[in-house]
Amino acid sequence: MTEHRSIDSELIEALTAAGDPYLSCDDCFEQTDVAVESLLATDGHLDDPFRVHLLRCPACHDEAVSLAELIGPELGLTPTEATARLDAELVREGAP
Amino acid sequence: MTAAGRYRLLGPDSVPADDEWIGRLRTPGPVRDQAVQHLHALMLRAARHRVSRMPDGAALGAVRRDEIAHAAADEATLSALGRLDSFEGRSRFTTWAYKFGILCAGVEMRRALWRDRDVRWHDVSEPLEPAATSPESFVEGRDLAAAVRDGLTQALTDHQRRVVVALLVDGVPIDVVADRLGSNRNAIYKTLHDARRRLRTHLEEQGFTREATTTEVTR
Repeated sequence: MTEHRSIDSELIEALTAAGDPYLSCDDCFEQTDVAVESLLATDGHLDDPFRVHLLRCPACHDEAVSLAELIGPELGLTPTEATARLDAELVREGAP
Repeated sequence: MTAAGRYRLLGPDSVPADDEWIGRLRTPGPVRDQAVQHLHALMLRAARHRVSRMPDGAALGAVRRDEIAHAAADEATLSALGRLDSFEGRSRFTTWAYKFGILCAGVEMRRALWRDRDVRWHDVSEPLEPAATSPESFVEGRDLAAAVRDGLTQALTDHQRRVVVALLVDGVPIDVVADRLGSNRNAIYKTLHDARRRLRTHLEEQGFTREATTTEVTR
């Protein structure tokens, strides 16, 4: 049995968060290797649909983080640095 | 030279070069068998990494976690072998392969962690109190919370409400929600996306702006 939680500002934010531009979980999976590797290897940016999806889908986000931790050392980054770069990109200024 | 003659078996301490994976996996005979073994090792590495990062994963015990990692590696290997045509060479092959191991391990861990836990498919009928630090913000927060509760009950379909409450109110992982509803992650995320849009529209119709939904209960 799961515990019920009250409606607070955090829950309201989660309930009303905009997920546009839309990207499905399947399409996120298709893109994640290229997107994460490119971000860590070149200091580039994530496409907005992919970036927004990771912000809105905890499961896909956690998998992208795990991938960044795994390949980070192969690209000259520690797992912590790789995760930090991914998380910083997700909330970068100027992104919709 | 034929494809079968292009590659030789690797030594015991060698792994395929990144640009040789596809060729080796498509070369019939011992070369492919060896490449599949190497691919499985990649998957096991990814699966073990994902398993080690799962919140609450320690509750399953080390033996069960390793069983899950091996099962995920097996499934991920088969999945990747069946989708070699989708590898376009835009990332390294190893990065492409890791994502299968990570996905399978994450899904299996969530299933295992929730195997003996019930999911309540309930309506949002309980009194819900906003967090607030002053009487004014309490009233505003209460109004917004009530509007959100009304939106959950009036603006969403039964299916959308079940999904939203399970995912966001009760914190049930998306793969578990998908399993219990006989669906998949893709469809459940789309349901969540559409439900959020309906809730935003409902709140706007009630006079709450996007900014207000996040400031009135926190100021």
